Amino acid sequence: MVIIETKNLSYTYPGGTKPSLNDVSIKIKAGEFALITGSSGSRKTTICRCFNGLIPHFYKGELEGEIRVADKDTTKHPTFEMAKEVGLVFQNPENQLFALSIEKDVAFGLENLGVPREKMRQRVDWALKLAGIYDLRERSPHEISGGQQQRVAIAAVLAMQPKIIVLDEPTSFLDPLSAKKIFEVIHDLNRKLGITVVLVEHRLDLTAKYADHIIIMDKGRVCQDGNPRTILGAESTRLIGVGIPKATLLFQMLAKDGLKLGSVVPLSSDEIAQSLLEAIKPHD
Amino acid sequence: MSVFDGLKYRKVSSPIHDLDPRIKFFYVCAIFVGAILFWTILPLLILFAIQIPFVLLAGVKREWLRSLRGTIFLAAIIFLTNLIVRYFASGGALLVTDLEFAAAMTLRFIVLVGSFSVFFLTTSPDHLGLALERTRMPYEFSFAFTTAVRFVPVLAEEAQTIMDAQKARGLELEKGNFLKRIRNYIPVLVPLIVSAIRRSLELAEAMESRAWGATKKRTNLYILRLKQGDFILFVITIVILMVTVYVRIYIDVPGLSQFLSGVS
Ligand SMILES: Nc1ncnc2c1ncn2[C@@H]1O[C@H](COP(=O)(O)OP(=O)(O)O)[C@@H](O)[C@H]1O
Ligand SMILES: [Mg+2]
Repeated sequence: MVIIETKNLSYTYPGGTKPSLNDVSIKIKAGEFALITGSSGSRKTTICRCFNGLIPHFYKGELEGEIRVADKDTTKHPTFEMAKEVGLVFQNPENQLFALSIEKDVAFGLENLGVPREKMRQRVDWALKLAGIYDLRERSPHEISGGQQQRVAIAAVLAMQPKIIVLDEPTSFLDPLSAKKIFEVIHDLNRKLGITVVLVEHRLDLTAKYADHIIIMDKGRVCQDGNPRTILGAESTRLIGVGIPKATLLFQMLAKDGLKLGSVVPLSSDEIAQSLLEAIKPHD
Repeated sequence: MSVFDGLKYRKVSSPIHDLDPRIKFFYVCAIFVGAILFWTILPLLILFAIQIPFVLLAGVKREWLRSLRGTIFLAAIIFLTNLIVRYFASGGALLVTDLEFAAAMTLRFIVLVGSFSVFFLTTSPDHLGLALERTRMPYEFSFAFTTAVRFVPVLAEEAQTIMDAQKARGLELEKGNFLKRIRNYIPVLVPLIVSAIRRSLELAEAMESRAWGATKKRTNLYILRLKQGDFILFVITIVILMVTVYVRIYIDVPGLSQFLSGVS
């Protein structure tokens, strides 16, 4: 089942002369872990804003083409309705927390929806536990690290129990270790709860292995769309300036020099380590 | 950061912190009324003393004393002004009662500051926001209030960062006369304001994405519920109010000098 679908979507910001999105047609299936990548300024954030109707409701501007998310036309449903279906996590963790305590922040969306208090409490605790920050629930956002703040943002979105979570470069403000933890949390949500994940990220070393689907954007257009191993393994992808995982690069280099390490293109260091172990294992 | 330290909200738990902010505010108002009703030292001293167990119970003695110390300058001005006015009013003579009067006015000021200070030292902004929500005020106001409190330390940190960055590029903040010094701050203020605007846009976007404005009937994770302590404070406050009003109307409160000479 397709949960996000755009057809020939084009968008121009108000006052803009050239379209920021150009004829974007993508399909993301329910339960998928989709990775959107592309160089800086390739309009990844812009496409995310379309997924919950911030474009066109909040940003105005001109939107052409079709977009359906969770069976809803986002242009006809206000963002607060889409919020129940799609949760957005933004780049800067600091600017998406408003309350004085973490649990209050996680409750914010539910309060807005008018969820009764008992049920709210349950859902807040559930989301806090999933994000691994239950023990921090009474702290103020200023007292916790960026990585923890970003987990609060994830919990805040989770509490609303959306079908889709869209994360726009959630780790660009974080250190590598915190980033790794965030990716693990996201991966868990996808695998255990079956939530559709759309992750915008250019650090593919840590994330490509989780992806079922990769979309590469360039200057507001989709330039590659499909299976991560096929796309990242292809010679042409390297030329667009996408951060191909180092393991994949090594695999390609070795292949060029005549050493083919198994039939599957590796996307992470543990995968290539596996292939290497296979290769050096004495055959009988 | 030091300037903003006082604004930073610290979470502490004490019987006083746990009290309902509305009742606490009622108590502060009662002290306020009491302080306004009396013009002599004795009752004002009592009103001042009433707050001491409150402060001790809350465990905010140090902060409270610090806020009182902060009033010294203003208190001195009040004392001197009163003294001078009295001096000229009585035609160049200064009596003990004039001294007493000036002291009483100063004490009244200290009582007012002290009681408000207890209130703000022991009431979390979250509680205050909730109390604001309980009034007829639109939710947007209390949201703006708590969010502002939330961003005070963030902005303070940012201001510091910008100041350091500009200093590293040769900006001298502490140089020149008063006007020059104010102008020195422009390279700090401009980036601070630009960043605050960008920040507010991002906040708005995040709020929208979390169903801001979905329903008029918003619910709340926390509620204010009156507990035993609140009833006790309520009764105490009523007693304070009744006693002050009664004393004010039916008893001729002696001045301090009268009182002391009456005792001996
Ligand atoms: N609010 C806006 N108003 C006008 N133009 C915008 C706005 N936000 C982004 N843009 C334009 O979109 C481009 C960047 O797109 P963005 O989606 O942020 O890229 P990415 O997230 O891939 O780095 C910029 O060139 C900018 O001109
Ligand atoms: Mg972006």
